[in-house]
Amino acid sequence: MVRNVSAFRPALRSGQRFDVSAAARPILSFESVFKSYRTDQPVLRGTNLVIERGEFVFITGPSGAGKSTLLRLVYCAEQADDGRILFLGRDVARLTEQSIPVLRRNMGVVFQDFRLVPAWTVFDNVAIPLEILGLPSRLIRTRVGEVLERVGLSGRGADKVSGLSGGEQQRVAIARAIVGEPALILADEPTGNLDPQLAIDILGLFEEIHETGTTILFATHDRSLLELRSHRIVVLNDGRAIDVPDGLAITIDEDDVQPVDDFTIPMAKVAV
Amino acid sequence: MIGSSMSAVGRIWRSGRGDVRVYLLSVFSLAVAFVCLASALLVVFNLRAVETRWARAGRISVYLRDGTSNDQVAQLRKALEQTPAVASTRHVTAADARKEMVDDGVAGSLAVLPVEAFPATIELALTDDVTDEQVAAIAQKLRDVPSIESVETYQRWTDRISALVRGGVAASAVLALVVLAAVVSVISSTMRFALHRRRVEVEVLKLVGATDRFVRGPFLVEGALQGAVGAAASLALLAVLYAIVRGKFDDELGLLLGIRPTFLPWEIMASMIAAGAMLGALSAFAGVRKLSAV
Repeated sequence: MVRNVSAFRPALRSGQRFDVSAAARPILSFESVFKSYRTDQPVLRGTNLVIERGEFVFITGPSGAGKSTLLRLVYCAEQADDGRILFLGRDVARLTEQSIPVLRRNMGVVFQDFRLVPAWTVFDNVAIPLEILGLPSRLIRTRVGEVLERVGLSGRGADKVSGLSGGEQQRVAIARAIVGEPALILADEPTGNLDPQLAIDILGLFEEIHETGTTILFATHDRSLLELRSHRIVVLNDGRAIDVPDGLAITIDEDDVQPVDDFTIPMAKVAV
Repeated sequence: MIGSSMSAVGRIWRSGRGDVRVYLLSVFSLAVAFVCLASALLVVFNLRAVETRWARAGRISVYLRDGTSNDQVAQLRKALEQTPAVASTRHVTAADARKEMVDDGVAGSLAVLPVEAFPATIELALTDDVTDEQVAAIAQKLRDVPSIESVETYQRWTDRISALVRGGVAASAVLALVVLAAVVSVISSTMRFALHRRRVEVEVLKLVGATDRFVRGPFLVEGALQGAVGAAASLALLAVLYAIVRGKFDDELGLLLGIRPTFLPWEIMASMIAAGAMLGALSAFAGVRKLSAV
C-alpha cells in the first residue's frame, strides 16, 4: 500500500502549524555543503544533492568519502561548516536545540552496528520512538506488533536483543526506524555487518518499506547491492555528490572513466 | 494519565534495573551519612525535650534562715499562695529534708549529719504559663525578705541545657553540611557512572527524538529514590539502635534527664526522607546535566 504523499504530516512541536507548501518541496536537499573534521582534509566540498519524496537512493563511495557524514548532517549529529541542508524546505542547521528532537522524530536511522540497547527486549527497543511521542501503551503494543510482523520478527517481542543474530538485530533496528512512520529513513551501511544473503534480505526489507512511500537514503560501499537493484545511485567523490543515472553496471569506454578506489564512474554520463 | 505514569515507571525500571547493585552500594553509603545526621537530630530533639521539661519544671526552692518561726513561715506561704504565678507551696522542714535525703538513698552517708545541717525550705510550684521574667521578679522579691537565706530558681540548669542544645544544633548543622556533601558526591558519581554504562541507551534515545528532559527523567527519579531510601534506611538503623539502648538504659536515662527519651517524631523523619529525595534528584541532575551529544 503506497502512502498518499500529499497527506503526509510531519511531527511538529506543539503550537507549530504544518506548512502545506512543504509537501511540494523535495524532502531533502543539500546546497553547497562543506564539512571538514581537519582543515587540510575536507570531507564534503560544496556537495549539491536533491532527494525527492518517495525516492530510494543509494549513496555510495569509497571509505572516508563522507557517506556517514552526509547522513549525520541530516539528523543534526554534525553541523555543516557551510551551505544548507533543507529537510522539507527547512534548513536543519538553523533549528534550535529544542527542535532537533522533533526533526529526528520525522526520520528513522539505521546503522551498521544496529545501535540497539542490549539489555532491553526487542519490544522495548522498537517501542521507544512511540514512548517518546507519549502514545498510550495499548496503541504502542499494537503498533510494535504490526511492525515486528512486517520485519519478520513476529512473536519475538519478549526476546533480549543480545540473544539475536546480526540479521535479526538489524531487523529490530529497522523496525525501530519505521515504527513512527517517518518520512525519511537514513540507512548508514545497514548491511555492513551481514553476510551477502542476509544483506540482500535486508535490502529487500528496505525496498518493501520504500514501496509504502517512505524515502530511503541507503549508504553502502557494497557494490554487489548496487548492481543488484536499479535504484538511483549517488557517488560521493572528492567531497562532491555525483549522480549516476544508469547505475554502475554499465558498459563504458575505457578512455571515459575516472577510477575512484573500487568505484568506476562513467564521467560522460554523470550529472554533477 | 495512569497509563502514562505506569509507562514512566516501567521506563525507569527498564533503564535502572541493570544498575541495582551499584544503587544498593550508593544507598548504603548514603545511609551511613544520613545516620550521623539522624543521630545528631535525635540527641538535639531529646535535649530540647529536657530543656522544655526543666524550663517547665516551674519550681522555686526558698531556703529559710535558721530560727525562722512557724508563724513567719505561715505568713510567707500565705503571701506566696496569693501571688498569681504560684500554684502551690510546701514547707519542707530541716527534719523533712534530712528524711527525704536519707530515705531516697541518694546520700545515705548524710544520715550521720545533725538535723540542723539541712536547711528548711518552702518549695514553690509555679503555674504552667509563668514566664522567665516573672520567675526572676518573684525570686528578686523573695531575696529581700529578711527570713529568707537564698532562692534557687534552677535557671542555671536550664541555661546549661540550652547551651547544650545550641551546641547540638550547631553540631547538627555541621553534620548536615557533611551529609549534603556526601549525598551530592555519592549520587552524582553514581549517576555519572550509570550514565556512562547507559551511554548506548542515551544515544539511542536522542537518536529517535527524545528531549534531554525525557532522557534525564529516569536518572533524576533514580537519584531521588537513592536519596529517599538512603535516608529511610538510616532512620530504620537508628530506630533499631535506639530500641536496643532504650531497652537497657531506659530507667537510668529517665532518672538522669528527668524525661523518658523518645524517638524522632514522624514529621522530622518524613522531612529527612523528603530532603534525601530532593537532594538525590538535584545531585543526579548535577551528575547528568551534560548528556553526551549524539
